[in-house]
Amino acid sequence: MEITMREEGSVAVFNLKGRLDLASGSQLKGEVKKLFEKKLTFVHLNLAEVEFINSSGLGSMVSIMKEIRLIKGRLTLSNLASYVQEIFDITQLSHIFEIFQSEEEALASFQSAVSS
Amino acid sequence: MDNVVERIGELLAKLQSPDFYERENAVKELGTYNKDEAVAGLIIALEDPDLGIREVAAEHLTKIKGATASQLLVRFLEHNDIGTRNLASEILVKIGREAVPALLEHINDDDYDVRKFIVDVLGLIKDEQAIEAVCQKLWDENNNVVCSAAEALGEIGSAEAVPHLIAVSEKVEDARLPAVEALGKIGDPSILPHLYKCLKTDDPMVEYAVLEAIGQIGVTDSIKELMPFLDSPDRSIAETAMMAVINISNRRGGRIDDDLPLDKFTDFLFDGIRNRNEDITDFTLNRLTHWYGNTIIESMLGVIDCVDEDRFRRISDILSDVGYPVGKMVVKKLVTTTSNSLRLKLLDVLKPVVTSDLAADILPFADDQDPEVRQRIAHLLGISGHSGAIQTLRKLVLDSNGHVRSAAYSALGWLCTEDDVDLIMTGLDDKYPDVREAAVGALIVIGGSKVIAKFNADLYHEDAERQRLAVTALGWIGERDVVDPLVRATNHPDAGVRKSAINSLARLGQLPDIEPITMALNDESSAVRKAAVSALVALVGERAVHDIRLLLDDEDVWVRYHTIGAIGALRKPEFTEYLLPCLEDDQDVVKLATAKAMAELGDRRAIPALNKLAQEKNADLVRAAKAALSTIGENK
Repeated sequence: MEITMREEGSVAVFNLKGRLDLASGSQLKGEVKKLFEKKLTFVHLNLAEVEFINSSGLGSMVSIMKEIRLIKGRLTLSNLASYVQEIFDITQLSHIFEIFQSEEEALASFQSAVSS
Repeated sequence: MDNVVERIGELLAKLQSPDFYERENAVKELGTYNKDEAVAGLIIALEDPDLGIREVAAEHLTKIKGATASQLLVRFLEHNDIGTRNLASEILVKIGREAVPALLEHINDDDYDVRKFIVDVLGLIKDEQAIEAVCQKLWDENNNVVCSAAEALGEIGSAEAVPHLIAVSEKVEDARLPAVEALGKIGDPSILPHLYKCLKTDDPMVEYAVLEAIGQIGVTDSIKELMPFLDSPDRSIAETAMMAVINISNRRGGRIDDDLPLDKFTDFLFDGIRNRNEDITDFTLNRLTHWYGNTIIESMLGVIDCVDEDRFRRISDILSDVGYPVGKMVVKKLVTTTSNSLRLKLLDVLKPVVTSDLAADILPFADDQDPEVRQRIAHLLGISGHSGAIQTLRKLVLDSNGHVRSAAYSALGWLCTEDDVDLIMTGLDDKYPDVREAAVGALIVIGGSKVIAKFNADLYHEDAERQRLAVTALGWIGERDVVDPLVRATNHPDAGVRKSAINSLARLGQLPDIEPITMALNDESSAVRKAAVSALVALVGERAVHDIRLLLDDEDVWVRYHTIGAIGALRKPEFTEYLLPCLEDDQDVVKLATAKAMAELGDRRAIPALNKLAQEKNADLVRAAKAALSTIGENK
């Protein structure tokens, strides 16, 4: 999986490309943890180019969400392909993640939180 | 004609009858004649001892709307009986602008009560032709008439009355209050300098009226004039000024930048929300995005139960933006509240901010009597990631309520504990489908070898639904370890399981051996054969055509249709030769699919066959053939 990260103000935006499984999920967790050392606790994952996600990939996402909640940060997701949306619905994970249609909408939601 | 006059005469006589029905019928019939004599009869009936008859007469007079009726009714304004006077007023208002000339004719009546009644009626009719006469009444010798005239001008709402109202408010002390109120209703911004001057009054009633009028006019610049009043030691004055600011703000869509001393008005604003005052609610919600503090958060939590769903969502979003400090306050409120609906809303507010430490505080609510509370608690415990919640969730999956069980299963999945796989598997036998789905979802999230082994065994469970759930779940789990069970499932006795297995294998991709899928092209079930076609194309792309082209002769029309579509989607012209015979299939639907596929392949070799197809009787086929020819023609 290709993982790229950029900072948009106080939000770390990850673009994921490829298959999100055990190996890439661990890699992603590692990348997110590095942010905490930099005191970055607002994280956005753009899943537009995630073509496959399995149980381990989901587990990694849940684990990332828990870590972020633990440090009182915030995690958002956007651009879920229909396949990814389907597995989020089946597992009801769509109820616990903050999911936006687009990256812009997600970043705007951080903006309103920051300004307040 | 004479007969009509004669008949009206008879009816007028019947109005004196002691018999109620005779009088009532007479009134009804009189209402059908558009004659002055009949109108006079209806006017007489307004004094009938029976209320029902008086009302019928009034209704007819309203409909007739004639000058005669108005003339006669105006005379009733000096009637000794207040009820009759009021009834006449009501009818005149209903008659509307056609009654205005008759009213104006009597506006200088010697009786000041009549003058007052007339001015009141003119105000309610709101007709601008009365403005001049009503303005003159601002200088009537009787103060009641003056006040009524000011009120009437406010009702009419014309800027033409403004100089007169300003003059009377300056010169007649008793008329100041209604004049200011009228100026506010007229709402002309040119009035503002005068109103600012009026703010210097010693009369608190006038002060209220001026503040309200400024608010009604709604000009942003007025806020700086209102500012000193927001600091007034008199709470009523301060709150009236605040209400004026609110009106201005709401008129401007909430876009005012002034730094307002809102902390002083916390109780006023949140009481307003609690009392469902829409103006106060909208204003407060607009300002809340940049107005926090523990008192405000507590106040917000206190009103979430008093607002509609949309406003609740707005408050929720604001609280969510504040973040985790809100959680502790929600839990504190949760413990003290007795209102069930408030508890449910508080639990909803908690969702984006619940953390592991808060989860411990909400555990006791897992025993709440209300299943909706228990359901939300299960959900929140799952989100919190609090491992200490597992014991409680184990209890909640045995709850008597299906929604609670469903939420508890999902939550256990989110907590990702392999220890609970056996317990979650029991959810697959639940009587409610949403509970079974939640259990499957939880097992997919947990994944791992134990779950895969369980579903592998379930592929041959005695219950066919469990078999189908197992194959679907294995597909979504999507780990390497599911490949073998799924490959075996391509030979499962149940066609639904075989089809799901093939779909799942296709989704997994990177299959070491595609033979099981190729074999499925010969499956006895057409649904499985179709799934195999899609799977092969997904797995090996154009290399699949070597095998799937055999299904272009399949006995099942929909398998042929599906295979043609799959080959067309590859957009490789070299496959044209495989599809050409399909343009002569005995089924139109197959020919239609082939024409569309030919358009995708874009090979000119298809032109003669497509030209032939374009001669068919079926209009859909002709359209598809022509479209394909047009597309291929563009590909020269």
